[in-house]
Amino acid sequence: MRMPWLLRGYAAVFYAFLYMPIGVMVVLSFNDSQIMGFPLKGFTLRWYGEALAEGALLRALWNSFVVGFVASLVATALALMIALGLRHRVPFRGAVLPVILIPIITPGIVSGVLLYVSFGVLGLPYGLSTAVIAAHVTWVLPFAFLTLYPQLHRFDRSIEEAAMDLGATPWVVFRRVILPLIRPAIIATLLFSFTLSFDEFIRTLFVVGSQRTTPVYLWLLIAEQMAPFLPAVGVMIMLVSIAVAGVGFWVSGRAAKLAARVEG
Amino acid sequence: MVVPGLLWLAVFAVVPLGFLATVSLWKHSLFGLTTAVSLDAYRIIANEPVYALVLWQTLRIALVTTLLSLVISYPLAMFLARLKGHHKTLAVVLVFLPFWTSYVVRTFVWLPMLGRSGVVNSTLLALGIIDKPLDWLLYNEGTVYVGLVYVYTLYMTLPIYLSLDRLDPKLVEAANDLGATPLQAFRRVVLPLTMPGIWSGCTMVFLLSCGAYVTPQLLGGTSGHMLGNVIAAQFLHTNNWPLGAALSLILVVVVIGFLFVAGRRLGLQQLFMGERR
Repeated sequence: MRMPWLLRGYAAVFYAFLYMPIGVMVVLSFNDSQIMGFPLKGFTLRWYGEALAEGALLRALWNSFVVGFVASLVATALALMIALGLRHRVPFRGAVLPVILIPIITPGIVSGVLLYVSFGVLGLPYGLSTAVIAAHVTWVLPFAFLTLYPQLHRFDRSIEEAAMDLGATPWVVFRRVILPLIRPAIIATLLFSFTLSFDEFIRTLFVVGSQRTTPVYLWLLIAEQMAPFLPAVGVMIMLVSIAVAGVGFWVSGRAAKLAARVEG
Repeated sequence: MVVPGLLWLAVFAVVPLGFLATVSLWKHSLFGLTTAVSLDAYRIIANEPVYALVLWQTLRIALVTTLLSLVISYPLAMFLARLKGHHKTLAVVLVFLPFWTSYVVRTFVWLPMLGRSGVVNSTLLALGIIDKPLDWLLYNEGTVYVGLVYVYTLYMTLPIYLSLDRLDPKLVEAANDLGATPLQAFRRVVLPLTMPGIWSGCTMVFLLSCGAYVTPQLLGGTSGHMLGNVIAAQFLHTNNWPLGAALSLILVVVVIGFLFVAGRRLGLQQLFMGERR
């Protein structure tokens, strides 16, 4: 199909709108001015230095990495088990999908409040290792399931049945037959889950206690003071997120290629 | 195999809803929470019109955001679907790229765009169109639309793009050969076949907008308040847990109601997994 010029022009405007605010943030992060805005007063790296010197940003980044690592592992494992389980007969099968979707359907602000209230009523401590991990695994699990499930249903079940017929135990079938086939999907899911957790904010804010994840750190910085180094912090957070997602894209692409070669 | 995952969801997603419902029936007073059953929170919501207004405003903002996203995303999805090879990959990745970062960042970027010394004001001042900065660019309902559409538009673009991409171009050619004008071909062939993508995108954007907190808080000012801000305030400032819990439950019920209507047309499976029934 030919591309009408109108559509081309529209796309140009769309991309301009998408990238202009980000471009402005990048430009302002180098602007040598106490006020976050225009006119531009000259080039400086000072705001990056100040933001990093505070230490709070690096601590927040580290916290986000740890939470993202744990949450993506747990969520992917649980989602994988559900997806594998659904390949067999399960009672109340029709009710499984709606239950899995609950964390997505629940409005963000309500999810944020849910664990805050529950932990509060039960007298459990808030914080990264308790409520935040719980909130993140719950939030990420449905997405992990939605990415894994179609992949698991794609491959031929007869391969698995053949292995069983040849006397393989279920564990051996999983390790030697299913796992190699779905490894790329698992890696992609892990990384996708990680980015979801890394960027999560509203489900974290209420239950994080006195600790900080990266988005919470940025939020409190914006709310408390309009520091001139805010754009620099935004740029750094954005770069980390994009780098992580980019690695994810690259790894899952490579894994898919590798799998294609093995299968071919 | 299914049990551990579902158990996790039961403990951390279903049971907490029960806690929320219980707390919404407690009593709030100057001395704190009392566990006596009371309908106080709901009575306040019913009697003070401000809560109905905020709920209405939230639904209206979510609906307008959804429609705006649809109108903005559809042509872009058409653009993406028509590209081929490396151009397509690049164009799709460029749409994704900004969404790989936290929406706190993506909301924040509008402050230096629309602020007093922001891009828009500086440009208009430099061009001599205005002689002092405009104050109404930020902190109102319009700004909330800008922010929400900017933050959530990918959730609309993606499913529509996928459904357009699956569409067989021969169908459009056939319509054209049979004498349909481009508009007729779009209305009678393309649009009906991409309805699943549209519904799925609309559902996602509507759900996300209903639960918005960051965007209205950062960009909305007083006139762009949404239910999310009112709920958060009950927990962060006034410490009125029953009222916050009751408002949260109302939001959940409203959202599920909407989803029920959308789900009847399509089924949850298709809405969230893009599968045809």
